[in-house]
Formats: sequence, C-alpha cells, structure tokens
Amino acid sequence: MPIFHGTNTKKHQYKSTDAPPSEFLASHKDDRINESIEDTIAFIMKLIGSNTDLTTRRFRVFGEYEAVLFYYTNLVNHTNINVDILKALMYKPDHLSKKTIEKHQLKDILLNDTLYQSETKLESNAALLVDGIMRGGTVVAVEGIDEAFVIGTRTIESRSIDQPATEQVIRGPREGFVELLGTNISLIRYRLPSADLRIDAMEIGQRTKSKVAICYMDGITNPALVKDVNSRLSKIHIDGILDSGYLEQFIEDNHFSPFPQVQYTERPDKIVANLLEGRVAILVDGSPLALVVPTVFNQFYQTVEDYTERYLLMSAIRLARLVALMFSLIFPSLYVAIISFNPELIPTEFAVAVAGGRAGVPYPAIIEVLIIETSMEVLREATIRLPQQVGGALSIVGVLVIGQAAVAAGFASPITVVTIALTTIGSFATPAYNAALALRLLRFPLIIMAGLFGLYGIMIGLILIANHLLSLRSFGVPYLSPLVPGNFEGMKDLIIRGPLPWLKKRPHFLQTTDRTRFDEQQPQPSPSGREPELLKPLKNDDNGE
Amino acid sequence: MDQSRQITAMQAGAIMGSTIIGVGVLPLPLFAVRAGGSAAPLVTLIGLLVGSIGLSIIIWLGIRFPRKSIIEYSEDLIGRWPSWIGSLLIIGFFAVLTSLAAREFGEVVVTSVLKSTPVEVTVIVMLLLAAIATRNAITTFAYMHYFYFPLLLVPGLLIVALSLKNAEAINLQPIWMQHSHGVIRGVLTIAALFQGNFIMTMVIPSMIAPRKSIKAGFWGMTIGGGLYVVIVAAAVAVFGAEEIKNLLWPTLELAKATSLPANVLERLDAAFLAVWVTAVFTTLLTSYYLTIYATRQIFRLADHKMLSFFMLPFVFAMAMMPQNIVQMYDIVEQVGQIGLCITIGYPALLIMISLMRKKRGKPVADQ
Repeated sequence: MPIFHGTNTKKHQYKSTDAPPSEFLASHKDDRINESIEDTIAFIMKLIGSNTDLTTRRFRVFGEYEAVLFYYTNLVNHTNINVDILKALMYKPDHLSKKTIEKHQLKDILLNDTLYQSETKLESNAALLVDGIMRGGTVVAVEGIDEAFVIGTRTIESRSIDQPATEQVIRGPREGFVELLGTNISLIRYRLPSADLRIDAMEIGQRTKSKVAICYMDGITNPALVKDVNSRLSKIHIDGILDSGYLEQFIEDNHFSPFPQVQYTERPDKIVANLLEGRVAILVDGSPLALVVPTVFNQFYQTVEDYTERYLLMSAIRLARLVALMFSLIFPSLYVAIISFNPELIPTEFAVAVAGGRAGVPYPAIIEVLIIETSMEVLREATIRLPQQVGGALSIVGVLVIGQAAVAAGFASPITVVTIALTTIGSFATPAYNAALALRLLRFPLIIMAGLFGLYGIMIGLILIANHLLSLRSFGVPYLSPLVPGNFEGMKDLIIRGPLPWLKKRPHFLQTTDRTRFDEQQPQPSPSGREPELLKPLKNDDNGE
Repeated sequence: MDQSRQITAMQAGAIMGSTIIGVGVLPLPLFAVRAGGSAAPLVTLIGLLVGSIGLSIIIWLGIRFPRKSIIEYSEDLIGRWPSWIGSLLIIGFFAVLTSLAAREFGEVVVTSVLKSTPVEVTVIVMLLLAAIATRNAITTFAYMHYFYFPLLLVPGLLIVALSLKNAEAINLQPIWMQHSHGVIRGVLTIAALFQGNFIMTMVIPSMIAPRKSIKAGFWGMTIGGGLYVVIVAAAVAVFGAEEIKNLLWPTLELAKATSLPANVLERLDAAFLAVWVTAVFTTLLTSYYLTIYATRQIFRLADHKMLSFFMLPFVFAMAMMPQNIVQMYDIVEQVGQIGLCITIGYPALLIMISLMRKKRGKPVADQ
C-alpha cells in the first residue's frame, strides 16, 4: 500500500494562506457549509489541502449526485472505506433500486438506508468537519445536501496487550494498559460490568486535543471528589498532553513536594480495585498509565499481590517492604552519624572492625558516603539508558568491579559499600517508582544533616520530612491517612494486610457514599461455619459387608 | 461536617500528652528530689494535680465558650483593653517559654553530644524547626502531635523498663516527705512544666465535640503526667535521692546507665537524646504555636504564617539572654512560677467573672 495517495483532484490554488489553519479555524468556527460541494472542497483544501496524506476522492452517489470524500490516508481503514462507504454510496440499495430518489429525500436515505457504519453523524459546522478528518474520520459531502457525513473510520496501529512492565506480579492478572484509550476503557469495563461505572470524557490540550476519561463509581465515590477532579482538569491550559504525567503535575496539590500525590498504574485490575474503593481514575489517550486520586502514602508500599495471596504471608512481606523503605531513606545517614559522631553506640568489637576498614580512607565518612552514593546514582541512571543487551554487563562491571576495586584501592571502606548496596536494593523494593524516587532524593539532605549534626541532625531531618508529610493533602485527604487522623478500620490494611473478611469498610478518608463493601446481612464464609461433611472420611473397613 | 472543626478528642489528648512530655523531663527528677528527697514521686504527683487544676479551668472556660479562644472571650468578659493586658502577658509568657525550652535543649545537646557545636546553632535549629511547622493550619498542628505522641512514649517507657534492672526499692523510701522546706517551690516548678496545656484554649474552638475535651484532658494528663511520675520514680530508684542532687539531667543519666539486651547498642544516651528531639519539638511547637496564634487573634489577622518567622529573631534573642546553664535554670524556675499566675490565675479570674456575669458563648452542636 502506498503511504501517500496522490489524487488527481487535488487543488493547489489555496495552498498559501496567511494565518496557520488553527487560527483560521478559530476565527471561522461558526461557519457552516452549504449545498455546493465545490465550496466545501475549497474550504477544506484551504485549511489542510497542502498535506500530502490527505486524500480527496470525487465520486457520484447512485450515479447521479456529485459527491466528495476526505480522509487522512494513514488514519483510516481502507477496506472499510472502499466497501462500506464508497461502494455503498455508489450503488443504490437493492430495496430502493426501483424507486427514483428525490433530492430532498437523499439525506435521509443516505443516512438510514445506505451507510453501513454505526458511527455516522451529520454535521454542518465546517470546523467540526475538519476536526473529524483530523481524528481519522471520513467526511462525505454530497451536492445538494447542506450537511456532510462524518463517518468514524479510524484505525490506529497499536501494540498488543502485554504484561505490565513495571508492575509485575507472580499471582494476579497479566494484562497491562496500552496507549489507546478505547482499549484501556474496554479493559476496565470487562472487569467491572456495572451500570454504576461512569466514564466522563474531556478534551485537554489546545493542540493535541487529548481525550481524557474520568472514571468513577456512581453511588460509591464521593460526588464532591468527582467535582473537584473535573474542575481541576478543566483548568488545565497547555498546548499538549502527551502522557498522564503532564496531567498529574497540573492537578496535584503541592507542586514543590518531593512526594507524589497522585498514583499511577498500568494495571487495569488495580484501577478497578481503586474504583471500588471510591477513588477516581483518570485515563489519557496515548498513555498506558492511568492516574488514581486521591492518593495516600500507604498506597506506595502496597501491591496488587498483597490482596491476591493469603494475608499472613503478604502481611509479612509488606512489613519487609516497609523496612526496605525506611532503609532506603535513613541507612546511609545513620551510618555517617554513628561513624562520625557516636561510635560508642555500636558494640566495641564491631566499632574496631569498622575503624580498621576505614583506616586507609582519606575522607571523612560523609564525603565517602556522598561519593559512593552519587556514583551509585550515576550507575543506576546509566543502566536505564543503556540498551538491554549491555545493561546487565554494565551493572556487573559497575557495581561489583568498581565497588571491589574502590575498597581495594583504599578509596572506600567495605562497610560503606555494604551500606550503600543495602540502601540501593532497599529503594528497589518499594513498589511505586515515584515514591522510591522521592526517598532516594531525600536521602542526600539527610546524609548532609548527619554529617553536620550526627543523630541529632538525622532526627531534625526526619521531623522536617514527617511534618511535611503531615501537612500534605491529596485532593483534601490527609496524606498519611488512615494513620493520621486515626481510623481504626483503616489500620487493618495499613502495616499488615488484614484478612479480606475483616476489610468490610471502604477507606473512611475517601468519604464514600456507600461505606461498606459487603452486605452485612449475608453471612461470610468462614471455616468454622462450613459444612463439615463435604467429603466423608475414607473408611478402611469397606471391604464388603 | 463543619470544616473548621476537625480535631477529635484523641488528637486533643495527644496534643496535651506530647506537649507535657518535653525537655522538662530531663531535669525533672532533680527538681523533684530537691523538693522532697526520696518523696520525689509524690512531689511530682502533687505538681501534676496542681497542673490539672489549671487545665480544668481552661477546659471549663473552653466549654463555656466553645467557639472562642481565651484571647477572644476575655474581651467579652472583662472588656477590650483589660483583656489586651492579659493577652499580651500570655503571648509574652509563651514566647519566653519557647525560647527557654529551645535554649535548655540546645544546652543539653551541646553538653552531651555535639560538644564542639556552638549553642546558638542548636538553638536556632530547634527554633527554625518549630517555626516552619507552625506555618500550618491547626488541623495539621493536631496531626503532628497525634503522629509523634506514640513515638515519645516508647523511648520514655523503654528507659524506665530497662533501668528496672538497676533499681533498688529501698531508694524510694521513705515515700512521705520528711520536711516541708522547699516542697511548695518544687511543686510549683513541676506544675509549671504542665503549662503547655494552655494550648487547649486554642484547640477547643476547633474540636468536633468541645465537651470531649474533658476526657481528652484527663487522658492527656494521665499519660503525660504518668510518664513524669514513672520517670522520677525510676531515677530515684536507680540513683537514690542524694546522688540525683549531683546530676543536672538525671533522666539522661538514666539512659546512660542502661543498655539494650543482647548489646545491640552499647550506650543509649545518644540514641535517647536523638529520639528526644521529637519530644522537645512537639513542646516547642505548642508554645510557639500558642504565641503566634494568640498574636494573630489579638491583632485580628487573617493568617498566622508570616508571624512565625517574624517572631523568630525575638524568641532567639531571648533564648540567648541567660549567660550559662545555672542562670538559665534559675530563670526557668522563676518564669515558671510567674507563669502559673498567667496560666492558672488569669483563667481562674475569668471563670469567676464569667460565672458572676452569667456569660456564655454560643453553644456548638456536639456529635
């Protein structure tokens, strides 16, 4: 298939316009087309005729009425246009073949008897017609009709639904969002076939006109929250939204906070779970990452798997994750503080070993740690940028060889390397990349504080961070909910993950319309209430009686 | 729900508890032993009761005027200009209290861990920490206390529990005071440590149910004051009354004398002091917040944010006034006793006038 169709009918006399098409459109946004297709062609050609991928095709409807068809070659399905539009329009339908069609009936017959496309509408506004072409529609104008047909023929190549790259699970669904909004909505809808699921649409971006879908559960989500999300989104004025990350930065509460106040995910099951909890999801066309608001801190160390695997094991793993999170924040600064200020805290034998390891190191502990930390950040960044084939080699060379050599060269002490390695691994254990980033960043000021004031400095730093977290809000919800302000129901799913039958209530801080997840009247299945005789115990003495 | 009323009874209790537990705990056994010898726990208990009287008056007033703080209802009760004198005294007193607490902890840090750091640095760091935190709304203020409160109890109780190993019950006897000399003074000094409770007058107008402040006050005092008594008892039991008289910060010495089982950390004093930063911070936060919140109300400003840094140089200058630790503790004792007139005497006067004039504030629908 040729990429660009040259058409004989293309007219070039309108090629040079003074203003860019978008401004011309804006000044003519109420213009309507008339019955003459020549005027329509002239208008569209003036605006977008100079594009080589615009196809203009003249033909005759039922062999008698002059008509023209516009589309962007690479946005549409050609078979569809050839068979369902062109052919359908050229030949009279069988049941009408005997009749003569009057001009005034034409519009009605074309719409109701001829076009096989469900997504067809009549439009007379010229600007909207151009917009339809831009979005992959096909515009058919017929001589004598003062409106044109806009037919949805868009087909965009997209990748297939894959495993989510950043949120893999051992137990749980394997589907991740793709770039196309329609596909993503279908992934949500099929998991949540409920009439309560509402999807509002919005267009953001003056030039990209990106479609944004706001999903929520009617009757669960607090209406005030939906209103807030809508109003924040509608205040965005930017030329282009290329990813949901752009939106996040416009709707978050505090732009200067290192902590993410909006969660993103590429897992449809996670979105559904969040919708059921009473949150609002925001999807953007062109982005495989959906946003979830409001977000509280505990979401960043929870994973989907916490809920799919049994609670006892996952509670333990969640605790391990919390430890890793704390590690990644304070471990290096703690090391610096103890080595430089309070070596008396650690047992004497160990202190001697540490001092021995540091014997040849020329710098104070803070410089040493900062150097190794910085080089670790560089290595990490390099591993992301490198092609996958070399990445593994680099991480081995970088981490193992350089680390080993640095110690051997007397440049760093072995304990420092161990500390930094633990920290780095700890930061990878945090499921949310953006939260891990925040902690990674905050580690550096903490190290400096530790170098200046020892343990006292670390505490000052931690109090500053905690105060900031306490003052942070995400869509009006305190960031550390349900820990602060305290809510006992929420605690069941905070540090440990309580058994599912315990989690009867939706998160209190979301102030949902419907507070309970289960019908309280229905008895919950429990091992003790179960029928004991599903399987009768085998008897040994069944050898015939 | 009323958006301006969000503080729960539990948060109010935590505000009181974490305000009480502060830098005052470090020299507390010394104050108590000076007054009553081995009867130090009893002296502390009496101090706690005196402090509770002050708190009760504040809460009583708060419930009578559930929409207003003391700055506002004193205007209704005794007229604008007389009330200004009272309010200015309150503001001044709490500014001094803030500066002294910052100085006291600054001295502790400089003396025991950061020996070559100038005291100005540690003081300004603590004050800055408090000043930044006061830039938040009162709800966030309550969240902060609520968040830190459990974290304060852990090190306090841990030190007490671990020191039991070295404790001698005989050191605590006789339980009763042997002489009345200096007892009153000691009781007042200890009662002065509870003055941060005055914050309740600012908290009650933001509570969901002002009546629950009684319960909150009870629990805040019981837990905070209970920790006081327990720490004094532990210090006396470990060191004995005579030894404590030679120690400047017996609680810190108590931390030094204990170690964790299995030798995880060889010494606890530096770690204890680090954790204690939180306790000092919450106390500073309360008194600083009270200062600027009251200033805001007296001048009827819409926002208190800019005041927090505006006040900082004054508070810092006051903190640097005392020449040395000895002079500082003299001032702490004197200021504490003068403060009792402001934090107990003035509210007592107001409640009497309120009862006589039968004046009440507009009630709030309790939930």
